[in-house]
Amino acid sequence: MGRFRIEIALTALILVLPVISLMVGPAGLSPRAAIAGLLSGEGPAGIIVREIRLPRTLLAALIGATLGLSGAALQGLLRNPLAEPALFGAPQAAAAAAALVIAFGFAPVTSFAVPGAGILGALVSIAGLVAIAGRRASLTVTLLAGLALASFAGAMTALILNLAPNPFIALEIAFWLLGSLEDRSSDHLIIAAPFMLASWVVLGVNARAFRALTLGEDAAASLGTDIGRTRIMVVIGVALGVGAAVAVAGAIGFVGLVAPHLVRRAVGSDPARVMLPAALAGAALVLAADVAIRLGPSAVEIKLGVVTALIGVPIFLSMIFRERRLLEGADS
Amino acid sequence: MSALSASNITMSIGTKEIVRDASLSLNAGELVALVGPNGAGKTTLMRALAGLVPARGTITLAGKLLGSLGPRERARGVSYLPQGHIFHWPMNVESIVMLGRAPHGDPFSSASPDDRAAITHAMATTETQMFAERPVTTLSGGEKARVALARALATQAPVLLADEPTAALDPRHQLVVMELLRNAARNGNAILAIMHDLTLAARFADRVLIMNEGRIVAEGAPAEALAPERLASVFGVEAVTVAVGDKRVPIAGRAL
Repeated sequence: MGRFRIEIALTALILVLPVISLMVGPAGLSPRAAIAGLLSGEGPAGIIVREIRLPRTLLAALIGATLGLSGAALQGLLRNPLAEPALFGAPQAAAAAAALVIAFGFAPVTSFAVPGAGILGALVSIAGLVAIAGRRASLTVTLLAGLALASFAGAMTALILNLAPNPFIALEIAFWLLGSLEDRSSDHLIIAAPFMLASWVVLGVNARAFRALTLGEDAAASLGTDIGRTRIMVVIGVALGVGAAVAVAGAIGFVGLVAPHLVRRAVGSDPARVMLPAALAGAALVLAADVAIRLGPSAVEIKLGVVTALIGVPIFLSMIFRERRLLEGADS
Repeated sequence: MSALSASNITMSIGTKEIVRDASLSLNAGELVALVGPNGAGKTTLMRALAGLVPARGTITLAGKLLGSLGPRERARGVSYLPQGHIFHWPMNVESIVMLGRAPHGDPFSSASPDDRAAITHAMATTETQMFAERPVTTLSGGEKARVALARALATQAPVLLADEPTAALDPRHQLVVMELLRNAARNGNAILAIMHDLTLAARFADRVLIMNEGRIVAEGAPAEALAPERLASVFGVEAVTVAVGDKRVPIAGRAL
């Protein structure tokens, strides 16, 4: 049991956090009322819990897990603790496509068309990356092509903001980009969840390749790992999952970078074993941030991406200071 | 039948031929040194022998065409130890050595008794058990070299290809690593090691291959292959020969 302590602790955490998430909001509910509402679906509590808070809670957990898993997979692929899901440009492409729809598609921020466009944007970015870098490209070429795509998508988003028909729409896009789960419905859950679950499978099957890659690409290949296939699967898996996450919730920064770090030491820095706890930690982070938003005193709801960064940065800094020696050792 | 045999290997990067018509064979129980100046094509050839890059010509592993084997089957037949003893994550030493078992067994089960035995044996041979639980990144260069070798030995592949296994090691660790390789050969492995230290090559190798400008220009017992005239023509050094134990070994005296 001791071996799986971190997984057990995190699982307990993400069993408790959703209950809290169902309780808090403009109408506070007791744990019992929240669970009764969830199970019966009757009365005001039932409607609030099932139709408003449940989709939001499930989205928070799925998005957090996807970001944590994507971060762990990219760090494993690149053997670099600084890798994060935005590296290949998929989230930026999803954001640009969603912004385009909000600005000119006459679709409100919460409509079905926005996530649809975001996911499409992420898929186009994968196709673009593969077309530019080629299927057998080296890691450096793939990274550079991803950087170019990410910059291009960022520029497109800026251009859309720039050309927005009126300032209200520009503001709406700007807020949307900060990330939020406010007013997300089960429609959002239904459109995004399949892509996120698919990304878990695509990334998860490469876990052992990430472990072998700790020895470098040549040694990993000599142990029977198909490096080219692993690389393309990670690009696709991250784009599917993070693209879908950004498409429904906007940009939620820092979770993908920080979640693997929080749990890495507990699994002995094993890049395969870090994946499950990283996903759980990501889910816990986003759930906690979304609860914190609703508990906060502000009349304006603080955006999710702002809170994840505000929570994540101090945790990250304290961890860096604690593990400075080990991290520096890993570079030499 | 040789454990590994390569005939007429030619490899190019762009229009430049890196390896030209190289042929070699490697038998069970022998330690063969591959020496040559920087840029001679040694690493490129070795990566082809490990099945990591395509090459023109024929490479067979225990009589089977290397290209006809699946990646895991190939990995069970040839173990490859790249230059530099790279460890990116501070995983503990035992988990690193366990990576050598990746080509064996099914990917979703944990270590089998065979895996455990191979890991224990590899760690005992390389004397790495005492830091089994330590993060590999906290070890010294010599210790890392032994762990890297333990990982390569844990695969228990009949053929071991080692690219500069003694580079950047202190004199004692150079000897330790060479003795480990020689013992592995005595236990039936076929080992090819790229080396720059001609003295060590002459002392430990059963046979020496000399590569220059992409070609294998000499092959034979160390004393013949590393004769002073050849060292002058291939490496551009004037060598002197000294006796170490019962062997005569070359030492590079001065650059010509």
